[in-house]
Amino acid sequence: MTPLIEARTLGKVFPMGGGPVHALRDISLQMCAGEYLTIRGPSGCGKSTLLHILGCVDTPTSGSLLFDSRDVGSLADAERSEIRLRSIGFVFQRFFLLPMLTAAENVDVPQAEAGVPKADRRRRTMELLEYVGLAHRADHRPSQLSGGEAQRVAIARALANRPRLLLADEPTGELDRANGEHIAELLDRVQSDGTAVVVVTHDGALAERAPRRLLMRDGRIEQEEFRR
Amino acid sequence: MPIRRAVIALTCAVTAALSAILASQPAPLPEVLVSRQLMEAQHLQVGDTLRLSSAASGVDPHVYRIVGEYEPTPDPMRLGAARLEVRMHLPDLLAVEANPQNPLDGETVDAINVSVTNEGAGSDVARRVSGAIPGTAAQRTSDDQRRAAPFVVLERFHLAIAIVTVLASSVFLLALMLMLVDERRATVGVLRLIGFRRGRILQHVLAEGVVIAITGAVFGILLSIGMEGGINRFFQWRYDTALVFVRITPSVALRSIAIAVPLGVASIFASSWSLLRAEVFALTRR
Repeated sequence: MTPLIEARTLGKVFPMGGGPVHALRDISLQMCAGEYLTIRGPSGCGKSTLLHILGCVDTPTSGSLLFDSRDVGSLADAERSEIRLRSIGFVFQRFFLLPMLTAAENVDVPQAEAGVPKADRRRRTMELLEYVGLAHRADHRPSQLSGGEAQRVAIARALANRPRLLLADEPTGELDRANGEHIAELLDRVQSDGTAVVVVTHDGALAERAPRRLLMRDGRIEQEEFRR
Repeated sequence: MPIRRAVIALTCAVTAALSAILASQPAPLPEVLVSRQLMEAQHLQVGDTLRLSSAASGVDPHVYRIVGEYEPTPDPMRLGAARLEVRMHLPDLLAVEANPQNPLDGETVDAINVSVTNEGAGSDVARRVSGAIPGTAAQRTSDDQRRAAPFVVLERFHLAIAIVTVLASSVFLLALMLMLVDERRATVGVLRLIGFRRGRILQHVLAEGVVIAITGAVFGILLSIGMEGGINRFFQWRYDTALVFVRITPSVALRSIAIAVPLGVASIFASSWSLLRAEVFALTRR
């Protein structure tokens, strides 16, 4: 089976005033479609940097990344944007919903950019808001939603163009326990519906839900666990 | 024949009588026009008589009858000066100015204005007069450098003010756009994460810039048109003149739009460019 993501000896160095910082060192990783992977590690160990590179947001300074057999390093910025638009969904700790738009409009934006016809967009948007249990909040703006609701809208937006990969950076970081549990269950559902999921988290309980878990330290994968 | 003689005699008698009557009537007063300002200052009315003298003491005055009021031609060089003026026929003016001791004085003039029926022929007439009468300088009034000089200075002054205003406004607009764009840092970051291309976001930004610039220019023009009457009325009252201080013409409006729109778009483009060049993950990080 062809891996969805194949990272080969990835390295990332940030040039800083006090000397270069090695955020990632020699990271190799393969991930298939529909797989669920969590990444844990102390702050500054390179988890988010790895997530950004896997999400075609950032590029490695060494090594290579293949996304669906395409070498991301050789792609132009516009082509990487196209991959993000159609194949990758992002969920962040701080939700990053567009504050001037309603929940439904936030879910509509990526579809509109992808050129989905209006009627199909409306249908898909309502389907996704029902999926995350927020159809009744479609016309509310982010400021009118609770943290848990905002994160569910962010997940709906991330799934708008039926991505093959969902990347979540501390998705429960700003939520209470009950809402965190709700989001964790939603991510389980997304994965069981066939989307590959990568979650970066400090939350041990959330990390334990994934069948495959990475522990990172000092820019390296220190430990990899599989649960049968 | 006797009848004819009688008629001739009667005609002569009537003519002689009329001549005697007319000779006994006083000569009609010379007519003058008086400026609105002088009419108001001296509470004069059409039909009043006016005594004018070339001497400050008012000695040996000439008497005129006011037949009308006129608004003096506005002159920026005489802004603030009270236009207490009278317009009279050239012989009357010469009579006022003439020195009784010098019989030729009434025949001398320094300059006269001649109106030509064909405006376009003014230069040709001036050239022919200058050539035909040695020692005479003839020129079109519009070619008079002394008259045009104040307007040239004024125009340059206006141009300098306009350039400084446009430059200062551009800097202000750029600063405003930088703040506006910086406030949208996270929004741009989210759009880039979602998969919007730089060019696509730039399109949105430029479209917004064009709308803002056109709206601003139109607002500015409408505001200027709205204020034009008020400004003119205030300064015309302040300096008691008919001079037009502000005039928003279609050409001025078009020039304003032609300057404002590219400047507005350039400002928003310049302020957005740094944001769009930043790494995507840097935009969502504070």
